[in-house]
Formats: sequence, C-alpha cells, structure tokens
Amino acid sequence: MKKSKSKNFLILLLATLLALLFLLPLIFMVLTSFKALGEAMSTSSLLPKTWTLENYKSIFGITADVPVLRWLLNTAIVTAIGTLLVVFVDVLAAYSIARLNLPGKRFFFVVVVAALTVPTIVTLFPMFYLFRQFNLIDTYAPLILVYSANTMGVFLIYSFLRGFPKDLEEAAIIDGALLWQVLRFVIFPAIRPVVATLSVLTFLTIYNDFLWPSVVTSADEMKTVTVGVANLVQGSNFVNPGRMMAATVVATLPALILFVAANRYFVRSVISSGIK
Amino acid sequence: MRISRTWSTVLFLPFLICFLLFLVIPLAFGIYISFHQWSIFAGNGGFVGFDNYISILTPGTVFGDAFYNGLKNTLIFVAISVIPLVLISLALALLVNSIPKKFKVFYRTVFFISYAVSVTAVSAIFKWLFTGNGGYVNNVLNNFGIGSFNWLNDQPLAWIAILIATVWWTIGFNMILFINALDEVDENLYEAASLDGAGAWQQFRHITFPSIKGVFVFLTIITVIASFNLYGQTLLITAGGPGQSTQSLIMVIQQMVFSQNNLGIASAMAMAMGTVMVAIVAAQYFYSFRKQ
Amino acid sequence: MKKMLLAVVLISVMILAACGGGADSETADGKTKITFINGFTGGDGDFMKKITDGFNESQDQYVVEESQEKDHYTKFKTGNYDLVVIHTDMLETFKQDGMIKDISSALETAEISMDDFHPAAQEYVTFDDGVFAVPLDIHPLTMFYNKKLASEPPATYEDLMALSKKLNGDDPNLFATGIPSAGLAEWFIMTIAAQNNIDLVEDDHMNLAQEELADALMIYHDMVFKDKISPPGLGLDGEFQAFMKQVEEGNSAVQTATSLTGPWYYAAVKEAYGEDLGIASIPQLGDQKGVYGAGHTLALPSSVNDEDKMAGIAEFLKYMYQPENLANWAESGQAPTHIPTMELVEGDVEKYPLSAQNIQQFDSFVGAPKLYQYREQVRYLVENVYPQIISEEGMTKEKLMGELEKATEQSKQVAETAPQ
Repeated sequence: MKKSKSKNFLILLLATLLALLFLLPLIFMVLTSFKALGEAMSTSSLLPKTWTLENYKSIFGITADVPVLRWLLNTAIVTAIGTLLVVFVDVLAAYSIARLNLPGKRFFFVVVVAALTVPTIVTLFPMFYLFRQFNLIDTYAPLILVYSANTMGVFLIYSFLRGFPKDLEEAAIIDGALLWQVLRFVIFPAIRPVVATLSVLTFLTIYNDFLWPSVVTSADEMKTVTVGVANLVQGSNFVNPGRMMAATVVATLPALILFVAANRYFVRSVISSGIK
Repeated sequence: MRISRTWSTVLFLPFLICFLLFLVIPLAFGIYISFHQWSIFAGNGGFVGFDNYISILTPGTVFGDAFYNGLKNTLIFVAISVIPLVLISLALALLVNSIPKKFKVFYRTVFFISYAVSVTAVSAIFKWLFTGNGGYVNNVLNNFGIGSFNWLNDQPLAWIAILIATVWWTIGFNMILFINALDEVDENLYEAASLDGAGAWQQFRHITFPSIKGVFVFLTIITVIASFNLYGQTLLITAGGPGQSTQSLIMVIQQMVFSQNNLGIASAMAMAMGTVMVAIVAAQYFYSFRKQ
Repeated sequence: MKKMLLAVVLISVMILAACGGGADSETADGKTKITFINGFTGGDGDFMKKITDGFNESQDQYVVEESQEKDHYTKFKTGNYDLVVIHTDMLETFKQDGMIKDISSALETAEISMDDFHPAAQEYVTFDDGVFAVPLDIHPLTMFYNKKLASEPPATYEDLMALSKKLNGDDPNLFATGIPSAGLAEWFIMTIAAQNNIDLVEDDHMNLAQEELADALMIYHDMVFKDKISPPGLGLDGEFQAFMKQVEEGNSAVQTATSLTGPWYYAAVKEAYGEDLGIASIPQLGDQKGVYGAGHTLALPSSVNDEDKMAGIAEFLKYMYQPENLANWAESGQAPTHIPTMELVEGDVEKYPLSAQNIQQFDSFVGAPKLYQYREQVRYLVENVYPQIISEEGMTKEKLMGELEKATEQSKQVAETAPQ
C-alpha cells in the first residue's frame, strides 16, 4: 500500500521537527564540550564564545598517569561477555516458559515479574559481601555476572513469543527437527529484532552502570571506563561541564556506533515472514 | 508437542542459576539485614526484629518522615510520568514506522540516542536548560514575550523539568520496543482493512493495538518500575529540592546507606518500597490480562 | 552449538574471574606499601599527587599508593586503607563509629606538634581522648567580587545595602550579592550563627529552637525581600551563577557584584573576570566577624597496626608537612592550616592568591560542631527550613520558630543512633 506523496511529506516534516527538538540537548552537549571552564559553567547561550579543544585534550592526555587503555579493555570484556551471557540465558528461559512444558510455569513467571520490583539497592551490599567472601572483589566476575539475574529480558522475549504463532515450529518438529535446531533455525531468526534490541539495551545498562562497578573495584586497573572517567572529570566540589560533556561525547560514541551497526538486525528476517 | 519436560527444564536452568545466585540469595540476605542493626563498617550490630520497619512507618520520626516524604514524592512522579512515557513513545514509534523506508534508520537513531547518554550528563544538560537565572528555556520564553519561570526552585515547575528530562532521556527505550512490536504486525491485515473502508484510527484500534498489547502491558509495567526507581535526575538537577519536594524514595534510601551508614533501615525501606511496587504492578497485570 | 557457546562463556568467565588487581602490603621490590585514599577527584587531585609522587621518589623504603575516588568514604568503609582524608565535620562520626584512631604517636615520630597548627584547626582534631587527625586545610566561605561593579569589597551589611542601591539604580537586574536557597545553605546558616555568636550545640545534638537563631536567619530573609540586597529565586549554585551572568545578555538574567561562595569556583571566576576579579573575606552581616566552612584532615584508620606501616605513614606525614611540599596543596587553592606553610603562602601572594586570602579568615573561622552524624542532624534544617526562609516572602519569625523546633527534634533522633 503506497502512501500518497503529500502524506509522506507531512510525516517527514513532523518527524524532522521532532528530531530537531530532540537533538537540541545533544547539540548543547557537543557545543559545551568546546567551551572553556568559565563559559561552560555559566553561559546561557548555545554557542561557545571561544572554541577550545582543551577539554578533549585533557581527556586524551591522561593516558600518561591513568590506565585508560586498560579501562577500555575492561569495559569491552565486561560488556561483551555480560551482554552475551544475559541474552543467551534470557532467550532460553523465555522460550521454555512460553512454549515448553516447564513444570511450575505460572509460578516462575510470576516470580520473574515480581523480581523486577526489587530495588537494586537492596541487593547491592549483600552481593558485595558475598563476592568479598569469595575473594572476587577486583576481578571481572562481579562485573560480568550480576546482570544475568535481571528478569526484564526474559519478560521481554516472553512477551514477544506469546504473540507468535506456533505453526512454523510445529511444522519443523513434524519434519523431525531436534530442539536445538528449532531454536537455531526457527525461533532465533524470528525473534532476531527483539534479541538485537535486548542486546543493545543490556549493553547500555552495563556500560553506563556506575554504582556497582565503583563499589566492587578498588584497584585502578580494574575500573571500567565509566567509573574511571567519572573520577577524573568530576571534581570533589563541582564538575567542569565542558570536560564532562567532552567525556560524554566520547563515551556515547561506541553506543552510537553499536546501535547503527545493529540496525540491520532490527529488520525482521525473511524466514519468519514466510509463514504464509 | 514432543519436547519433553526435561528439555524445558534444562533450557530454564542457566537463568535459574543466575537468578538464584545473584538475586534470590542477596535478596534473602538483604531481608535478613533489615531485621538487624547493620552498619557498612561494623556489620551486624544485633537482631532488632521489626524495629526498623516500625521506625520507618511511624510518622513524626526522622526515619518515618524521610520514608513517607520519599514515598509520596516518588508516587507523584510515577503518577505524572507513566502516561506520557508510554503514550509519547508509542506515538513516536507509530510515526517512525510510517516514515518511508530509506529514512527510517536515521529517525530511529535520533530518537534513541538520548538513551545512551549517562544520567549525569542528562542532568547537567537539563539543569543548564532549566536554570532560573537566565537559563536557555527562560531566554527563549522571554523572546516570545512569555516571562521567565523559576523552574528548579518552584513546584510544580520542578516536577515538570524533571519529567521533561526523564522523557527525553528514556523515551528511546520504550520507542524501540514498540517499533519491534509494530514490525511484527502483518501488513496484509492493514490492506484488507482499508479495502473494507476502515480509517486510520479504526485500523489502529482493531489491528495494531491488539497485536502489540503484550508489549504495551510489558512496557507500562517496566515504565512504572523505572519511575519508581527515580534517582539520578532529582539528585543532580534539583538535589531533592525545592524543600525536599523532589526527594525520591531511592534518594532517601541511598542517604541511609551511604551517609547514615544504616543498612538495616535502608533495607527495611527498600523492602517496603518493593512491597508497594509489587502491589501496583500486580494490579496492573491482572487488570490487563483479565480481559484476555 | 549452544552448549559449546555456554561452555566457552563459563570457562572464560572463570579464567577472567581469576584475573584482577593485587593487594599485597609489599611491592615487588620489597618496599612497604601504604594505601592512601581521598576524594580529590578532578583538578585538585593533581596537586596531592605531586606531593605523593615527590615522597615516593625521595626515599626507597616506602611507597604510597594514592586512590582518588568520587565516593571515597564508602570505599574506606568497605576496604582496607592505611591513611584516609576525612572532612572536619565527619571526624566525630568516624571516631564514635570506631573507624579511626589516635594519631599522636605517628605525629611524634614525624616531629609534628599540634602547636604547628592554627588554633582553629587544632580545635576540630583534638578530642578528650587524644588527637584523631592531622589538619590539612580549611576552605571557608569566600567572597569573590567584580571590581568593575564594586571597587572596594563590601565589609558590612551597610556597605552591601549601599552597593545594592547604587547598582539597582543603574540596572534593576544588578544586585550586591546573592543568597541561594540550596547548595551552600549549611554554610550560610552556620556563618550567620557564628557571626551572632550563637551556641547551637546541646549535649549530643543541635539546639536550633533558639530565638537568636531565628533572628539571625531572618537577616538573610531581609537581604532578599526587605533590603533588596540579593535577587530572589536563587537556587542551587545560584550565588555563583548570578555572579557569572552578565546583564547585557538581556532578558531576565540577574547579576551580582559579589558572590559569597565556595573557593573551588576560583578557577571559573578567574577565567571569566581575569584582572577584574577580587577576593576578600566575607562581610560582617551580624554582630561580629565570623565565617564557616569545611576542612580536610588526614586520619589513621583503626585497622592499621603494622609497625612498619606506621613508620611509613609517619615518614609520609613528615615529608608532606615540609612547607615547600605542602605548598603544592596551597597551589590548588586550598588554604593549609599548618603555620610554617601558612607563612610561606602569605609571603607569596602572587603565586597563592586564593590561599593567602583565605588564610586571613582563619582567625574568625568557626568549624562544624563535633556531633555524631552532624550532616544528617542538620539535614532538615538545611534542606527544608532554610529554603523556606529564602524563597517565601511571607516567612515570619513565628513560623520559623516552629520549623526550628521540628529541626531540633529531628536532630535529637539522629543523635540517638550513635553507638552507645
């Protein structure tokens, strides 16, 4: 069904206006990263009166005293493995609740949703104590593992699977497919967009997390980029906004790149649309 | 289905292990702490039974007042934020979905990218935007002849500022999931409906909405929970002000943990907060799925 | 395939779990390691690092490993450190909780005596049962002024009134100074209490329900609403923002000729005003001169028992408190309270403008009361009562007394949580 050209134009116009409105804070963020201290702290105009690269220099110039590369490595490891773990665990669990004959299914599902309401601060120190008990402070273990307990992913994928007709799976089973084949060739491609979304969201959660990584690491070499840079940029009494925005611009780039790269996975794969 | 119970249990097992290890056990420990006098440094200071809970639930005491103030403020925020967060994101998703294919990616990215920014940066940005003395928003309003407002020091303006900041920051999350859901709707249904003479609103009501209902309920619940967890924005933009009126419950709990050193009280507050949330979420859930 | 992936994940997790930072008390080459934690993130940190690095290079028996963390108190409580920086208003709390111990023996070894410090500094580290920290610096409420708008820094309430009248005449958006309703609220409250010589402490809590205090606080109310010395509606950091704004920007911006604010804004105001920036002591708004602020101290965690470490800590302190070394800290703008260093700083005002000026405020400095969980005890006063005074024109002394009584009640309850 092709929409009329004028309808398309109106939609694009509206979208563009909204996009500009949305980008305003980001534009401010980028512009502030080029402002010197005095201006950054007080001016009410968007554009810097004097442009400076000082903020970026101070961030990139710190490699001398501070193990930034190690932080980047830590963050890469922690987010990659953490995200993989979460997605893997959640997809399997959601499928078993949605489709298979899981004993105690309803009970587990209720628990899964109720678990979402537990405020993370309750489990923060208990988990810290537990990890400390096993001497796992200042290792990768706490940084990677804790996110796997989050039930949102399970709930999300379950919500998508529910509305999904079982035809293809049943056809595959009749054809003699084993469980793992059903998962790999039928289910996974079909929910690929949601899985891609979950991956991006989990990545962002782990990447931007500050409190838990800062509690659980004390050695400089074990910090993540978020924690390490925050310590550098935020003063004990005030923040240099220019520097903070520069750090944020740099920190947001990987997320942006990841999101754009993952975009092709947001498109429904061809197989699932072959139901008809 | 020929898939056996064993297999389904096996699939569920990895998640179950992680869940038990990193949620259930720490949670049990947290509940245990809430029945004790517990400081971060000194640890277990002795069993106190329900004393912590009584302290936080008694109005007129320092802990009780803090708890009720935090709870009240958080409930206010939940009440004002959930509907905009869900409906605006749905509207945006519908809009992006109807954009011609080659531009879709761009707009989807633009509306999502704000979610990747850390809460510290978001708060700094909106604090600058809404600052009362010659802030950007006030300057713009002045240019249009409307006066300036003391956004961050007056209510309900402070809540409005916090709400706008939160919507800008987190709307991408909801929008992306709605887009995923909308993608799943079979396009043929729309064709058939328009052949039958159905208008856009009717198509939405009878085709789109029922198809995305699962995700809609999911997102509403998630949004309620996220709004309950309000912390960064009120800490950094208004510092809980004006007059402690934007002090969220999580802020109060954090103060109890990191400033007052009182893990027992903090855990009790968190458990009380969790209970309230469970009640609200359960009500939401049963209300939505009762209709099925 | 899924099983393989799972196996790979688990194995890599286990391998990586074993990797991590080390925590030994000796470095590879046999030197004794001393872990030092503080909250000096951002710009300040570099100056303390200079001192630490200098010490490490100057001898080869000890190595000080300095951690600069945003949330260093939590790290201190959950970790194992040998030396910690504690703010002056937190010392009583940490002492009562048993987290720090008497540092006198280390000071003796380091040949540092309490007489080496300004009396104001001695006051807050000395307790009935010993000396529990070494004073590092004091950062009091500071006045920055714009020489273009105020050729002389105002020194009294009358000066401020005159200045404001004149400025207001030039432009209705110009004021003499700004009183904020949040941010440095506590400092403003305690400053006026000090200037009116009010004793706020009763036993183990704050006694705020005093008429004298209500009168003192209403001075700020008058400054905003009666005498128009300050613009209304200034919030968090409002006093700093108003100082930085320029009224020519048009619209609604208000500007102040002076700012009573934290000395940490020095770099920002210096950059904005350059030669037009003046620094001065805060004016006398009450009955006498007085100023409040915070300060840093170095304290010894009670877990430190190792003789070797104690010796190392003493060596580090001895090094740090050589005036030429401690002067590095003054370069960051902080005002050291160590008398020999103070003399060095005051002798070179060009190099240490902010520090030298604030040293002059030491004689009228009043620090935080030594109360358990002091910050929590005043929370209601600071976050709830004080904003009402600054923001609500209709605030009266009677209403204020009612709120002050509530604040006292809350203060008492917090005091009760102290360990017995």
